[in-house]
Amino acid sequence: MSHAPFTWDGFRRGARDGVPLALSIFAYGLGFGLVAAQAGFGVAKAVTTSAAIYSGSAQLAAVNLLQTGQATLLALLAAILVINARYVLFGAALQPWLWQAGPLRSYGSLLLLGDANWLLTMRRIAEGEEDRAYLAGTGAPIAVAWLTGTALGAAAVSVLPRPEALGFDLMLPCFAAAMMAAMTRKRADLVPVVVGAGAALVTARLVGPAAAVIAAGVAGGAVAALMHRGAE
Amino acid sequence: MTESFPLALLVMAAAALLCRVAGFTLMRLVPVSPRLEAALRATPLAVMAGIAALAVQAGGLAEALALGAVVALTVVLGSDVAAALLGVVIVAVLRWLGV
Repeated sequence: MSHAPFTWDGFRRGARDGVPLALSIFAYGLGFGLVAAQAGFGVAKAVTTSAAIYSGSAQLAAVNLLQTGQATLLALLAAILVINARYVLFGAALQPWLWQAGPLRSYGSLLLLGDANWLLTMRRIAEGEEDRAYLAGTGAPIAVAWLTGTALGAAAVSVLPRPEALGFDLMLPCFAAAMMAAMTRKRADLVPVVVGAGAALVTARLVGPAAAVIAAGVAGGAVAALMHRGAE
Repeated sequence: MTESFPLALLVMAAAALLCRVAGFTLMRLVPVSPRLEAALRATPLAVMAGIAALAVQAGGLAEALALGAVVALTVVLGSDVAAALLGVVIVAVLRWLGV
């Protein structure tokens, strides 16, 4: 069971592929650090938050809640669960592949799971990546970038240009679009693309952006499952 | 906020961790049929398309043009990393031009 490859070589390959994504995460970390500093967080508190929650969108929501002065434990808990619910889907999609590495390595790798390296790893799995250490490898430079970005941002390095002016906020969508284009090989691959985009847009309007990514994944998966049945 | 920050952070960290491991753990209990496998394989493509579509919806013309260029560049250059990085440059230039 736990005989799937999990090697230093695979880790290094993942780390190398994760570096361009880490650039955007660094800029995002700067942004979170700035917001946290404005909310009265010191560097240590901001970095501890980034390490403990390790999810930019959830942390921004939490800081906003704390700033209202009306944040209860229950409200904070609910905010994190709603915003990070997409990770339930991400983990489920990784399971058949990742579990082959055994429980310790699987759960250890999941600690470094984020949007960017999930997309990257799923793309490589589709191409036949066998080394389960690849996921943790992609997470390593991203984690370093996230924590150093947070620290610099919280240290109020306000002389830096806004990440938006340099286009860094569009880095994750750019990678998503590029990987999508690279992964779309057959005509049938266009179905989850169209369904995912449509479900995201409709859900963002009706419910909100947190639910939109989950809706895209679930709708795309559901349609693929239905089509698979039809093909049999 | 009446509770202490360390307690709040602990609760939030636990919630974030739960989200990371819940789907993975639940899938261990589910037999993976070919149909479920097809669904899981389609999920990343749908999420990628969703993320790109949301960025266009939240942004505007500059974002739409840049992401359109990324798709075309991926096909032309054969490298998704190069195309994505060029996309960032394109959107920065377009914003600088006031698009």
